[in-house]
Amino acid sequence: MKELKFLTALWKTNLASAMEYRVAFISQTIGMILNDGVYFLVWIIFFDRFKDIRGWQLTDMFLVFGVSASAFGLAGILFGNAFNLGEIIVNGRLDYYLSLPRPTLLHVLTSRAVPSGFGDFLYGFVSYLASGQFSIDGLGRFVLAVILATVIFITFLVIVQSLAFWLGTGGTFTGIAINAMVTFALYPITLFNNTAKLVLFILVPAAFMGAVPAGFVRSFSWSTLGLMSLAAAGFLSLAVLLFRLGLRRYESGSAIQVEV
Amino acid sequence: MPAIQVTNLQKTFRTKHKAAGLGASFRSLFKPQYSTVEAVRGLSFEMDSGELLGFIGPNGAGKSTTIKILTGILFPSAGEVKVLGYVPWKQRRQLAYHIGTVFGQRPQLWYHLPAIDTFTLFGKIYELDDRETKKRIAFLAESFEIGDLLETPVRKLSLGQRMRCEVAASLLHKPKLLLLDEPSIGLDVVAKQHIRDAIREMARQENVGVLLTSHDASDLEALCKRVIIINHGQIVYQDKVSVLKRAFLTSKLVEVRYAQQVSPGFHVEGTETLKVSKDRYGVKLRFDTRQTPVEKVMTYLSTAGTLLDITVSDPPLEDIIRLIYGSAA
Amino acid sequence: MKKYFGIFKINLLNSLAYPAELVTRSLMIVLFMWIFYQLWRVTFAASGADVINGLTLRDTMWYLLLAETLELGRPRLARVISQQVKDGSIAYLLNKPYDFLLYQLSSGLGESLPRMGMLFVLGGALVWAMAGPPPALVNWPLALLALAGAWLLHFCANALIGLSAFAVEEVAPFEWIYQKFVFILGGMLIPLDFYPAWLQAVAKSLPFAYMMYGPCRLFVRPDMQIFVQIILGQVFWLMVSGGILILAFSRGMRRLAINGG
Repeated sequence: MKELKFLTALWKTNLASAMEYRVAFISQTIGMILNDGVYFLVWIIFFDRFKDIRGWQLTDMFLVFGVSASAFGLAGILFGNAFNLGEIIVNGRLDYYLSLPRPTLLHVLTSRAVPSGFGDFLYGFVSYLASGQFSIDGLGRFVLAVILATVIFITFLVIVQSLAFWLGTGGTFTGIAINAMVTFALYPITLFNNTAKLVLFILVPAAFMGAVPAGFVRSFSWSTLGLMSLAAAGFLSLAVLLFRLGLRRYESGSAIQVEV
Repeated sequence: MPAIQVTNLQKTFRTKHKAAGLGASFRSLFKPQYSTVEAVRGLSFEMDSGELLGFIGPNGAGKSTTIKILTGILFPSAGEVKVLGYVPWKQRRQLAYHIGTVFGQRPQLWYHLPAIDTFTLFGKIYELDDRETKKRIAFLAESFEIGDLLETPVRKLSLGQRMRCEVAASLLHKPKLLLLDEPSIGLDVVAKQHIRDAIREMARQENVGVLLTSHDASDLEALCKRVIIINHGQIVYQDKVSVLKRAFLTSKLVEVRYAQQVSPGFHVEGTETLKVSKDRYGVKLRFDTRQTPVEKVMTYLSTAGTLLDITVSDPPLEDIIRLIYGSAA
Repeated sequence: MKKYFGIFKINLLNSLAYPAELVTRSLMIVLFMWIFYQLWRVTFAASGADVINGLTLRDTMWYLLLAETLELGRPRLARVISQQVKDGSIAYLLNKPYDFLLYQLSSGLGESLPRMGMLFVLGGALVWAMAGPPPALVNWPLALLALAGAWLLHFCANALIGLSAFAVEEVAPFEWIYQKFVFILGGMLIPLDFYPAWLQAVAKSLPFAYMMYGPCRLFVRPDMQIFVQIILGQVFWLMVSGGILILAFSRGMRRLAINGG
């Protein structure tokens, strides 16, 4: 599609901007890899002591961390503003994007890259490699799983932060949403009963960022692929719809404090 | 066809009141309090293609709201607007290809990168061909004298240099209309001059219409042929700058301070006493230089007592507007 | 002394000014406590025992509650100070007639006390409902004392990280790694008592255990020996980190004076 040329240029600009501060960029990337790794050690200690949680084992943990970290990282690298969309809306910074001839939501989301995202992205691959489940076609499934997980993660963030069009607040909900998503994604899904699982598939789709894609990486299954794709498409449509509705409100001027 | 056609534009905002504290937060959930602000009340004007039009008015006059409506970012409560033949809020993206905007308070250049990177990106945003973009950048670099600045990270540029790059960037895609909202805020006199000259020259060469809003009357004086004075969401005055100048430069404000107290009814013939200070040592007055010679006023003032201090100034914009409003009524 | 109390008070009031926001922010602990409960309930059930390494499920939950209260409630000093150094606003603070570090201490305390209170209350309500009532009242004073020590240790560490902005461009990586070390070696996500013996020994020789494990353990299952160990450890590490902090601060000041900021 014709937006691809624009997107590649924008992503290149993001990268250039992030690399302007070479030391910070490298230290954030490496720092994040170490951060994720040390955090994973907690689980190693846990599983060393407790062996498994209703069938869920350390290997599963490696896979879940792999997909989640890479998805989180990819979201930060390519769609960095997904993390502060609420803030952008509340501070009226959408005006800039609205006055340019490119699709607004796409333009906003892709206009920033979070340097530490590279660390998360790389770590995910390392985690997959160390999982003991690595194989060449597994790698293909891993990449596909990461892409779908990224879509679901970002669209979830867009949905939550589009509330800013109506509620006028940015930060607090976003922080909770991200935390909820990441925390639930990284905990063994076998812990949760059916009602809780329903929440994790629909309300805070962490299952689609952790357990489900991890299962897909283990072994291919049409139904899993279908489910993930359906979820991605569903959340994407909802996100775009909600954002459009919110934008209409923004353009009526009743969304934020306006300077006359 | 005029570049801009605005007919009876109206915009009213409804904003929710929110006070601090838990009680107030709960109350606002169930019984929200609204206040309405009529930002624009019945504005009508036209602008020809290639024209240099100025919009001036105090804070809260409705300038920013009008510009936002013209760019399609906001839609009006009532009225019709056509910009370059498009209805802005309905055809925003198509319009975006043909207009350029510079908002003084909201930079569009990427802060950490050299300006040229933003220019190149804009080339992609406006779907210009690579070679076209390069040629255009070279041309703009010369017109705005920013050639040697393009490779420097924007954060290292002075405000004046940055604004020149901002305006140049807004012209990359050869827009037919350029909208500038407070472009010279924070700039020193020399930088302002530089920018104005460049804009004027570009407008002339490429027949770009320029709509400029500002607080600074000298901006309008230097750049615009026609000016619209807006206040409380309505047009207060609309005419050529030359006419405005005559009104603008004809009144003077004088503030004096004496060693002795003056009478509460202090008055100089041919002037209007605006204020006598509480301690009655100071007086502020205004007069029309066309009707009362400056010399006469100064002489009277200097002999009315022992002058400790005197300030002579041009009246603030509010006063000019009030004056013009008064004389137009 | 009075001025620091004033600084403390104003930060406290600021935190309390928007109670709705305070509550929303604190909802995160409810999320974490719920998830922790699922994890440990299943783990205890699977192990078939009521007590693991001396702790019951109820103990574990209250342990984790205090840990999360401290972690989520402590002021983000590293970020605040590093920002002040980077944008130069530290100059305004240095021009005032108070000690910079004491200022940060009192404002941090004012900010974090209501937050920790709210976190503990909200999280505690859920933990009570799920796992049972809080530990006996007699445990609380010991825990509070250790909590104060832990808070101070966090303060010193974070202030040091923040001040490293004088030397490094980005302090965020240090912040992340510090936090993760507290997670692991401080026993924040898993009580240290569950660790293999050798790892426990390593952890207890490092300051992190005194920043987290100390107060949490004393809260749920105190004993005199542990108490003395913790307090002595905290005093020791406070002296060390406090000393390094003061040294780092004066070095930083000298640098500021030379480079003009």
